[in-house]
Amino acid sequence: MSRSSSLEDIPDQCKDLFTQDGVLLKACLGRPVTDLNSIGMLCIVQNPDQTKSIEWRPNDLITIDSDAQDQEWAVVNTIGITMSFAKGRRQRTLSGNITSDYATARARIIKISLDELKTFRVTRNNQQMQFSTKPGVWQTTFYFQHGNAEIFVAYLKNHIKTAKTRHDRNTYVVVEPNIESQVLNRSFAELDIFTENTTDVVWNLMSNLRQRPYETTMEAFSKLTDIVYYGNEGMNGKRDVSEEVADLLTKSMSAIEDSTTLTRTDEYEVISVKPTLPPRPSIPRGTPLSTEKWDGLQDTEGRVTEVEGVKQLIFRGGVAHSIRQSVWKYLLDYHPWHMTHAELRALTKKRTEEYFSMKLQWRSMTEGQEARFSEYRDRKSLVEKDVNRTDRTHPFYAGDNNPNLVILQDILMTYVMYNFDLGYVQGMSDILAPLLLLLGNEVDSFWCFVGFMDKIASNFDMDQAGMKLQLVQLQQLLLFASPELAQHLAQKDSGNMYFCFRWLLVWFKREFSYRDIMRLWEVLWTELPCANFHLLICVAILDAEKDILISKDYGFTEILKHVNDLSMCLDVDKILSTAEGIYHQVVSAPHLTDQIRVILGLPTLNISTSTHSESEQASTSKVENGTDRNERNMFGQDMDEGTLEYNGIQISIVTKTVWALLA
Amino acid sequence: MAKTYDYLFKLLLIGDSGVGKTSILFRFSEDAFNISFISTIGIDFKIRTIDLDGKKVKLQIWDTAGQERFRTITTAYYRGSMGIMLVYDVTNEKSFENIKNWIRNIEENASADVEKMILGNKCDLEAKRQVSKERGEQLAVEYQIKFIETSAKDSLNVESAFYTLARDIKAKMEKKQKEASNPAGARSGGHQLRNEPQRKPTSWLSRCSLL
Repeated sequence: MSRSSSLEDIPDQCKDLFTQDGVLLKACLGRPVTDLNSIGMLCIVQNPDQTKSIEWRPNDLITIDSDAQDQEWAVVNTIGITMSFAKGRRQRTLSGNITSDYATARARIIKISLDELKTFRVTRNNQQMQFSTKPGVWQTTFYFQHGNAEIFVAYLKNHIKTAKTRHDRNTYVVVEPNIESQVLNRSFAELDIFTENTTDVVWNLMSNLRQRPYETTMEAFSKLTDIVYYGNEGMNGKRDVSEEVADLLTKSMSAIEDSTTLTRTDEYEVISVKPTLPPRPSIPRGTPLSTEKWDGLQDTEGRVTEVEGVKQLIFRGGVAHSIRQSVWKYLLDYHPWHMTHAELRALTKKRTEEYFSMKLQWRSMTEGQEARFSEYRDRKSLVEKDVNRTDRTHPFYAGDNNPNLVILQDILMTYVMYNFDLGYVQGMSDILAPLLLLLGNEVDSFWCFVGFMDKIASNFDMDQAGMKLQLVQLQQLLLFASPELAQHLAQKDSGNMYFCFRWLLVWFKREFSYRDIMRLWEVLWTELPCANFHLLICVAILDAEKDILISKDYGFTEILKHVNDLSMCLDVDKILSTAEGIYHQVVSAPHLTDQIRVILGLPTLNISTSTHSESEQASTSKVENGTDRNERNMFGQDMDEGTLEYNGIQISIVTKTVWALLA
Repeated sequence: MAKTYDYLFKLLLIGDSGVGKTSILFRFSEDAFNISFISTIGIDFKIRTIDLDGKKVKLQIWDTAGQERFRTITTAYYRGSMGIMLVYDVTNEKSFENIKNWIRNIEENASADVEKMILGNKCDLEAKRQVSKERGEQLAVEYQIKFIETSAKDSLNVESAFYTLARDIKAKMEKKQKEASNPAGARSGGHQLRNEPQRKPTSWLSRCSLL
């Protein structure tokens, strides 16, 4: 069979990072009219000098035999010609004839360097996109025939920083990537919301909130998200005005939330007997554990004595980025808290030797051995596939032949030897990637990864029992903390909470930026304030979406879509604060059940309800089935009359019907 | 809101990890390709409405994680699928061999009359090919399933694959409707109209399965 492609052989000078087909060139300054209205492919390309450009190539230049596409069962043309053009760029496999006036055709390529791009805008129902490298002139206009420009814009934003302009929501200004302070100033100026001083802004906002609560909040938040995002990237531990405003906003928002909850309850007469949760306290987040504090917490020989105190501090505010490398080793059980510097040095030496001996085990495997060792081969192939698609848009893992990918692979392969039975499971590379980025060292990253895996090993069970248990526990927590939402989900066939699978499997790694996931993880590693706090994080996220999910009457598919789309739109500090508030609500609820106590690792009392406590103790089989009577009550099944103690008052639980309404 | 489609078909992409399920879906739904894909965790879906013989057919295509360990979760989504794309990677022998296991998996978990199709993806990587087109065809003959080689990267045959699967589902559905002597039965086929929303208390899954 002759080769249709020698793709791998062509030196990869220019590379298509993203391609969007079906893009019509509508207007282009300085181009003859004949060039217009032709269809092509709009790409984001990486140039040989590592700069990036937007490039549009007309289809007739790169025609694929379009008939082949329409023929059913078309044979793939195996005698196609591979052409490379535009500085030897790898191109599509061509099965048509290449015109001889190739140079003329090449001249029709439109290339806009990302360094020169100033603004772009998306109009006409998101189908039209215009670019400009000069203020005031839209030089090129493209029309997206297939779908719309949303995805292209999303990928473009991976490569440039943008801000939306104040006057026109559809216009994006490219923010110069190099000068951090300028970024902030410019975005502030363009957004024009910080011309007054911060306090004024917040007060204006507050007064607007009263009149138009929803719009005002959304508007303010969308602006703030932009600023916080663009302004603070890479400025760890440093608070600035935008963060403070965000904090103030968060606080005022929780106040408003509380009041609306109260109004809400007025809608239901039945509420008087409903075992409502106590009001949710609004607990502000603290500042990160600082270098000074951390130094002060170690004795002269390096032992950390106040372990609980350290964990409290970290739970409250996380860890300053500058000392994460050191602190994470403790949080991930690589460095025992009580060890002196000397002992840690000895430990590090021992662990380093251990690591490399395990690494040698797979490195020294011969081809023949490998060929006869299918279980090893399977694991290896899974690792390779996933390493190549782990966070490749992050600069640390981007580009071909990135040495960090090799380290990522080596650690995961060594982990396969460390725990061959578990092997490699998808999601592990997501867990490891931020660790390696932060620690930068292969051995440290490996042992910290081991520590993290120990915490979440059940997520990767062969039979997925750990995941299923967590999903059930999450449902039980939600039913207790946000019964209205739990009920809605159950009605929409989503009671199994499968739509939270990704959150749980990799501990929200796919939902947050690197900066935020580091904060979230270190807080969760403290295992405070209770067991399974990560499930309360889920409850907090869902509770914030409750109104949308219920009021729009989202069904099975919409719920999944909505939850998947929350990725990268979540505010980590707000969620942590809400989750902690929910924790306090739950544990101080008078009707707290043993079921919930067990999930949160609290001692059980066996007196959750007065009428059935004895039978509950006696019939362990019911509990084993995962259907203890509280749960059945909540679902309104098998419901007898009973009483419940609430605030010291005995409340009779009326009937099945009322419970169904309540739950 | 006015009705935006005539039929809703639920399709499912399955196959080993890394064969290109997400890329195929991305190519079909957005006509785009991204070199830096991430592995799929859990489940997701995309929508595209196509025109099929004058009918607007809304395709809801589910994308799943490929690793065997996650099958207990993903099989929950098999039920109710009307068409399944079985994807392997022509540069990966193992993924081809596993197609048989995936078919068994379907037989155990999906409705019996689900339409199937085998896709040999990444056919642009000719130099790395491990599975010849002939072997793909043989397998397809053996199982009486349609087969086509695709390249999500080069946008080869992805469109026609989905159109074919959709057309087969539509044909099967219309045949069933005709067979049903009671004309009222024609409305209860494997589709749901947009303008008759969630009134039905039955599960979403059962709403979508062919009767």
